[in-house]
Amino acid sequence: MMIGIALGLLTTAVSLGSGHGVVAVHAGPWTAWPKNGGLNIDPYARAILARSGEAPLGREEGVAFLAETDSDGAALDGRCEYRIVDPVPASRYWTIGLADRNGYVLENPTGRYAFASSDILRHDAGAFEILVSREARPGNWLSPGDAKKFIVVMRLYDTPFDLESRLDAAAFPKITKTRCA
Amino acid sequence: MKITDRHLDLTPWILATVLVAAIVHLVSVLLMPHLAPKDALARLSQAAADSNAGLLLLSSAQPNAQVLPFQDPTLVEGVCFFDLSKGLLHLRGNVEPGEFLGVSFHGSAGRVFHAMTDRSAIKGKIDVVLGDASQISELESEDSDDAPPPEIRVTAPSAVGFVLIRSFIKRPSDRDRAEQQVRAIQCESFEPPAE
Repeated sequence: MMIGIALGLLTTAVSLGSGHGVVAVHAGPWTAWPKNGGLNIDPYARAILARSGEAPLGREEGVAFLAETDSDGAALDGRCEYRIVDPVPASRYWTIGLADRNGYVLENPTGRYAFASSDILRHDAGAFEILVSREARPGNWLSPGDAKKFIVVMRLYDTPFDLESRLDAAAFPKITKTRCA
Repeated sequence: MKITDRHLDLTPWILATVLVAAIVHLVSVLLMPHLAPKDALARLSQAAADSNAGLLLLSSAQPNAQVLPFQDPTLVEGVCFFDLSKGLLHLRGNVEPGEFLGVSFHGSAGRVFHAMTDRSAIKGKIDVVLGDASQISELESEDSDDAPPPEIRVTAPSAVGFVLIRSFIKRPSDRDRAEQQVRAIQCESFEPPAE
């Protein structure tokens, strides 16, 4: 009996401690949980939200994608440098920023935590690239500060595309590791 | 043979343990939204000195000063709390044309039960009344047949919760405008009209 209760609580702790829900969509390194923005959220995601204290975007407002790895599947490492290059799926506004795994912004010397579609520097043709590095970089520079691990959070506001269908990774930004210290 | 017998003796115990584990697991997952001590409502209430004071502007996400996880640092966010046992919630305000405004309605544990953007504004205004099922049906019973109701009515699945109002900071110099847009939304608790 006691063992059963302990096992039950353990599986709860493990299943709620990692991830954001059961029903996810994937595109390259990006993952989103679009059902978390509405009433038909699954019970695990509901419990996870209650514990983490997150108040997700409503599905009508937009959707957040998280990347914990680069496009080659290697975990993002604060000692390495990365390039994040377009495209971004169609949306009215988007933002791309860094956070820790629990969703808190990272202390860093730039005082900048994200770039928005409205204030990012672009090439002549409208393309952009974001450089993630602890060292100062020209252009769109995001710093993970002293964090060893971090995630990239991309939010698409007022996005028309259908999250129920299969997503095309080519429509999402690529995250490429350029060097490691 | 002896080993097989012992295994057979243990089987009901193992099955019972697994069954208990499964029940405890399911019950604890389902109860979590009601029991979690630090859910979104608790965190927001802690940040608000007076949760009855209408709309409260949240500080933008910064290191060591972030109220909720996964807040977008490029948004200005305001919160209104509601407690439908004390009356309905009336949320209204002018929307700047062409500027993003997001409004999401949450139960206490963070679940979204309704959301809209400035695109749902009618004639440049957002006008929403939030109530529980009986409050909303009471409002509907008083509608005249001729004119459609002036506001959007939303039924809340729980009596307490909060509304987040989000405006987008397009560039650093745009913060004041975004704050004004969020402040332009008013939240008031009101009693249903007397019969």
